[in-house]
Amino acid sequence: MTQLQRDKTFEPSGVQGKLKIVLHDVSGTLIRALGTIERRGYDYRDVHCTQRVDGDFDLLVHIEDTGGPSNLDTLCKQLERLYNVVSAEKVGRRKRAERA
Amino acid sequence: MTTATQFEKQATEKIADRPPKSGSQLLLESLVDQGVETIFGYPGGAIMPVYDVLPSIPELRHILCRHEQGCGMAAIGYARATGRTGTAFATSGPGATNLITAIADAYLDSVPVVFITGQVPTNLMGTDAFQEVDIFGMTLPVVKHSYIVRDPADIPGMVAEAYFIAAEGRPGPVLIDLPKDVANAMTTERHKWRPYPKVKPEMGQSDYISKAEELMREAKKPLFYIGGGIAQGDGVAELRDLVERTDIPVVSTLKGLGAMPSDHPKFLGMLGMHGLKAANYAVQECDLLIVAGARFDDRATGKLDTFAPHAKVIHMDIDIAEINKLRQVDVYLDGSLKKNLAALNPGRSECDDWRALCYGRREEYVWDYEGAQAKASPGVYAPKLLHDLSRRADDSAIFTCDVGQHQMWVAQHCYFDEPKDHITSGGLGTMGFGLPAGLGAKLGAPERTVITVSGDGSIMMNIQELATLYRYGIPLKIVLLDNSVLGMVRQWQEVFFDKNYSETNLDDNPDFALVAKAFQIDAFTVNTVDEVDAGIDRLLNTDGPVLMHVKIDPNENVWPLVPPGRSNADMMER
Repeated sequence: MTQLQRDKTFEPSGVQGKLKIVLHDVSGTLIRALGTIERRGYDYRDVHCTQRVDGDFDLLVHIEDTGGPSNLDTLCKQLERLYNVVSAEKVGRRKRAERA
Repeated sequence: MTTATQFEKQATEKIADRPPKSGSQLLLESLVDQGVETIFGYPGGAIMPVYDVLPSIPELRHILCRHEQGCGMAAIGYARATGRTGTAFATSGPGATNLITAIADAYLDSVPVVFITGQVPTNLMGTDAFQEVDIFGMTLPVVKHSYIVRDPADIPGMVAEAYFIAAEGRPGPVLIDLPKDVANAMTTERHKWRPYPKVKPEMGQSDYISKAEELMREAKKPLFYIGGGIAQGDGVAELRDLVERTDIPVVSTLKGLGAMPSDHPKFLGMLGMHGLKAANYAVQECDLLIVAGARFDDRATGKLDTFAPHAKVIHMDIDIAEINKLRQVDVYLDGSLKKNLAALNPGRSECDDWRALCYGRREEYVWDYEGAQAKASPGVYAPKLLHDLSRRADDSAIFTCDVGQHQMWVAQHCYFDEPKDHITSGGLGTMGFGLPAGLGAKLGAPERTVITVSGDGSIMMNIQELATLYRYGIPLKIVLLDNSVLGMVRQWQEVFFDKNYSETNLDDNPDFALVAKAFQIDAFTVNTVDEVDAGIDRLLNTDGPVLMHVKIDPNENVWPLVPPGRSNADMMER
């Protein structure tokens, strides 16, 4: 069994959350947003994307923290920093993941 | 999804009375429109249409570096020395991938550079064609924004937006990937692009400013913790004014050096892993940390939950995504650092005991250069050499460095009186940065003395740029500190790995003075302390490019040192 030396500061919190992200219909924006979420320390539980009548996209993601310093508020700001991301916000209630 | 251009363009403007222009022509004319004067580049197959037009645009000076990584880092040095956006060209495939380290460097240090790469023709994209890589996809994590050009009519608007994005807010790199067929395509059309709609606050909310002033008035042990954002936010004068008005001590990150003059009486020095003792102790004991343009980087904070453990935090940053990212704050001020610093007016801090403690420590821990040199004699004690060099160089001298022990010695021992005096790879820590960044800085600021300090490990990573110095007669002054080892790695092996010196011995280095001479660069070697003064004279008085090769002791380490994962209070010493 492998034992990883981990900084306990950044242990996975098991935080789950849902984000609603509005994207302009611009090439590369979807992959930028999805990549940012993964790189900032979250795994996907569900991803749903639909185009709105105004041409923008609604991206709804259900994610779970994999460890790292991020919190969902910071993640939303990091997403909104991307060009062609109109907005990113938490939706629904956060809850603790059940641990095995 | 549709292409980038289809969203942004408002309308097609047909210009019937003009002859058609190629994508390449439009690209280069657009660069001129953006005020670009200097491009660092390297041609190759996919970007040949652009190079075919380049000689017909006299406003653009092209600097042919000898490796695309050198091009990128020269553009970074140019940008940091001038405060303007840098520009670099490379071809597709390996040319583009060779740029990636420079792109990442610009991203982590928030440097505005537009990187333009050639790409295989659009009908071959996605076919694994010769010299095809998905540079757009490969660089997504390390660009502020990026484009693939699909239509030459988009180029003027896209280029304008790229330069706007690179420089606005928190600066960063932007990539434009130009397929060869788009570069060759002729068009009479121009797509108008809307100005980018994102609205950001100009400065912090007034009630937050009041709250910050209240915290500053109440604090008994306040401390400024400043970073590279001060210079990038054009807030140097406002910071210095606020420090004078409040009389609060200041510590700085590596990137923040120069925002306060190194010898300013209120400046305690650099904090962090190789920070000065007065600075690190102040952080650990303060009760209010006023963070301006810094981001709680791990090299600055050490173990995060032990950093400034007693302090409330005011955080000023133009990038709101940095607020509460690593440390929960009590008050934040987003928007312009310059405006926020100017708006704060808490009066002089009532903290005389704290000031006396901080300034007393600074005097107590002053560096004993003469004593250390005496111990090292007849060898050269590098920190004293750098200290003497920076005081003998003119006040406007710029230091660029590579990465390793010499980089920390420069930060600890050289004098900087403005941020542009110090150009270093802070975030990415890129060995090979110093030489190309130095030549870029010198081309951007030809009136200033530019000195590159490098190590024997680092210089080998972009030593080919000596040819660029010779080709253009760039009078860069290089100090090569040669201890014949990978010094910083060896230091960690000595301290943390039981002296298991694995793969850090470089005692088969070439004769660097001979190598420089082979590139037709004036060069000489300093072996003993007796030769240092004359060496510095020769370095500073040589008109053209020159390399001073200095042999130093491999056992000389960088102190203090905070072990990784430990508190900044746990400083190891010699």
